[in-house]
Amino acid sequence: MTNPIQQEQTEAQKNASPVFFEQTWDLEYRHALGSTTSRFMQGLTEGKILGRKTTKGRVLVPARSFDDETHSATGEWIEVGTTGKIVMSTVVYEPFRGLPAPPYAIAYVMLEGADTALVGYVRGVELSDQATAVKAIAIGTDVVVHFAAKPTGTAADYWFEPAGV
Amino acid sequence: MFDTSTAALKAAGLTAKNIDGIVLSGNDQIDGRVIGIMASAGPTGGVNRDTTMTASAGDHALAYGYLRLKAGQGKNVLVVGWAKPSESKDPDRVELMSAEPYLLRQVGMNQTIAAALQSSVWVAQGVEKGSPDATVWPLAKNDLPGRGDSVHAAVLAVDGAFPEGSELAWILDAGWATVSYEIGARDLGDLASLRAALGQIATRNPDAAPEHWDAVEIAGDSEQAVRATVRMLDISDNVEVNGSGSLSEQLTSPHVAGLGRMMAAIRSVGKSQSPNDSSAKARMTAGIGFNGFAGQGASVMVFSSSKEKSND
Amino acid sequence: MINVGIAGFGQSKFVTKRTDVTFPELVKEGADLTLADAGIPIEDVDAFVYPLAPDALIGVSQGERWVIDALGASGKPFMRVNNGGATGMSAVLTAWTHIASGMFDVVLVAGADRVSESGSAQSVLNKMWDTGYERTVPLNTITMLALSAQRYMHLYDSTEADMALVTVKNRAHAALNPNAHLRTPITVEEVLASRTLAWPIKLGDACPASTGAAGVVLVSERYAKAHGLTPAWIRGIGQNTETFWMGNRVGPTAASDHGDADALAVAFQVAYTQAGITDPRSQIDVAEIYSPFSSVELHVIEAAGLADKGKAPLALSQGKFALGSDGPIVNPSGGVLCTNPIAVTGTIRVGEAANQVRNRAGAYQVPGARVAVASAIGGDHQFYSTMVLSTDLEEI
Repeated sequence: MTNPIQQEQTEAQKNASPVFFEQTWDLEYRHALGSTTSRFMQGLTEGKILGRKTTKGRVLVPARSFDDETHSATGEWIEVGTTGKIVMSTVVYEPFRGLPAPPYAIAYVMLEGADTALVGYVRGVELSDQATAVKAIAIGTDVVVHFAAKPTGTAADYWFEPAGV
Repeated sequence: MFDTSTAALKAAGLTAKNIDGIVLSGNDQIDGRVIGIMASAGPTGGVNRDTTMTASAGDHALAYGYLRLKAGQGKNVLVVGWAKPSESKDPDRVELMSAEPYLLRQVGMNQTIAAALQSSVWVAQGVEKGSPDATVWPLAKNDLPGRGDSVHAAVLAVDGAFPEGSELAWILDAGWATVSYEIGARDLGDLASLRAALGQIATRNPDAAPEHWDAVEIAGDSEQAVRATVRMLDISDNVEVNGSGSLSEQLTSPHVAGLGRMMAAIRSVGKSQSPNDSSAKARMTAGIGFNGFAGQGASVMVFSSSKEKSND
Repeated sequence: MINVGIAGFGQSKFVTKRTDVTFPELVKEGADLTLADAGIPIEDVDAFVYPLAPDALIGVSQGERWVIDALGASGKPFMRVNNGGATGMSAVLTAWTHIASGMFDVVLVAGADRVSESGSAQSVLNKMWDTGYERTVPLNTITMLALSAQRYMHLYDSTEADMALVTVKNRAHAALNPNAHLRTPITVEEVLASRTLAWPIKLGDACPASTGAAGVVLVSERYAKAHGLTPAWIRGIGQNTETFWMGNRVGPTAASDHGDADALAVAFQVAYTQAGITDPRSQIDVAEIYSPFSSVELHVIEAAGLADKGKAPLALSQGKFALGSDGPIVNPSGGVLCTNPIAVTGTIRVGEAANQVRNRAGAYQVPGARVAVASAIGGDHQFYSTMVLSTDLEEI
């Protein structure tokens, strides 16, 4: 003969829906940028994009204190141009929690005098029609760097816009 | 990481190009990164190389580097472990996230509280006394490890792959073990993970057992844990314990505390050999690290000035 | 030289959510399935290597410590690997090292993931990027691969329809795999009509966020012989690393292009050389090669030497690489595109490849498969792991 309490528990278990427990990680950080990245950010407030030269003569943009491909320290500061061409780009249409509301375009741009491309938002492009948007930011498109009027000392202080607009 | 790796490689007469493998270890949550190997492979010379992040503890990375060479994966390996708690506004809160979310996180747990719980067991046994200045009873500030940013890098290589006599130490053996997560299911004062790690070495390589050690460096979660470790090792009073400094004197972070003590043990292999005594026996040292709450995991590595008695 | 084999592979059925189990319970499921598949008791396991990629996705920091009991690992040697998306296979390579060192005979690699447990997966993955330079732009796994897909199309004049061929093939394969997450066959038109996430990546080009558990158990040759086991033998392994900076992967002075997977090709070559493979197209029967998006499989096929650079689309359009065709079959399980429980996805590649050469792949078995290659990718196309497996230890 089954234990009536046991029987009751089995009924309850059968009827129970899964139980959940919500948790959030609220961890805060204060990331040290180091002198090289800090100088790059300072350059943005001066309307400049700064790179650093490697032992092989390549200009790394954004500026970095060492070149990971040769595992060697970089040297000279180089101011690169504020015009260049898009080398990679995409338009984001999907919303992701914690990221900006779409649509928005981002691109990697090879600025004049740089050997590596810099990432940033592309603004001033009509994004509602996908085909038009994709064409407007196609590889090879000429762009110009724009700087924020009120710099924040972060990478949000620059973005790209199509040239000759 | 770039500076430390470059210095370690240079000290070994190498550059990143001559390294056959890289083993890294960092804690993403302390550093504020996700998939920390992405940011750390470059500075440690990992581009165009075989890199692995052994993320459970810095001392596991050293053990894995050792295994790689025993397995014939190249002639050398660079091991780099780090922790940069200054990036975190609240490193103790980061440790709280290691608590399972259902019960333990509600109670609140971190390395310090777990160390205190552990020490309370030794107080109950009458082996320790609670401190009158306890910040987390029974532990006082001086009982606890110092906190700071650190990077540790070591170049390991197989016999014959480097100029003879240029080595800092030979690795004789490594043992490591982790026990149950549930604090309530363990006797915290028992150091079961350490016993298991020591047992592996004793079984495999009795010549590397604690009775042969001249010095030991222990990364306990508290000075009480260091003393309990010494009791378990059952070593003579001649054996130097934590010669590189007390827990509070060494600024570290739980993730690399053990690795830091392994490094200290390696450095202490070369010292106090009398140059005039040709009959001096080989000097043997060991590093002991713990990971997780109240030593859930433990690692032991044994080093010697002589390659005899190595586990080969 | 100690030979190491894969003696068992276990996996749960992959779904979006598992509301019936805690994370440790899910891990236990995978560990139990793995050991049962191998017929090896937990007592015989000498050491554990645990695959866990971002802790944030499961919500417990150093989450490996939480699952010791689920794995049956208490009191034994244990370590965890985190190589991003390549974790599942890097952990297997670490386990290989354990056995090849001579110190261990049986090592279990088993874990789980629940990528959609956290609703913020892409926000979490945004934190992979450089703190100073790359956090203000919303880079994540989708945008980083969108850029790579665009570069491939630019380099080789390919189209989104070429990408779609991969999805069509892999979904047809997954329809035969009872454990796969996305199993519905799909047409090129349906892929092209699916909604855009980040151009050119559409929903039909992207992997799902999967929940489930998987594991493999590795054995030494002496253990296999002593217990009458016939594992899949590991004949070659490789790992290589690319630069972290995507901006470094374009332009005339770049070492390689973001549209290619040259660093992966190096890792394949290392494994091939160890295994004695000189002509992948004729010597490899099965390739379980990690491609979370359709576009990625194009350059991974090429990096594996199964097609020339830029020529994977043509081969796919000719029906190559699909079950039933001649030559190497790519991702007969449906691959990562159909199932992606991040921490163990690399482990599944090894398990599926092992089952193929042991003739245990059921409905999606490649007839007579004797040699398989498996690979995994981690970070922003930064970490690569490769492995060659075969039925026996004879020359390939």
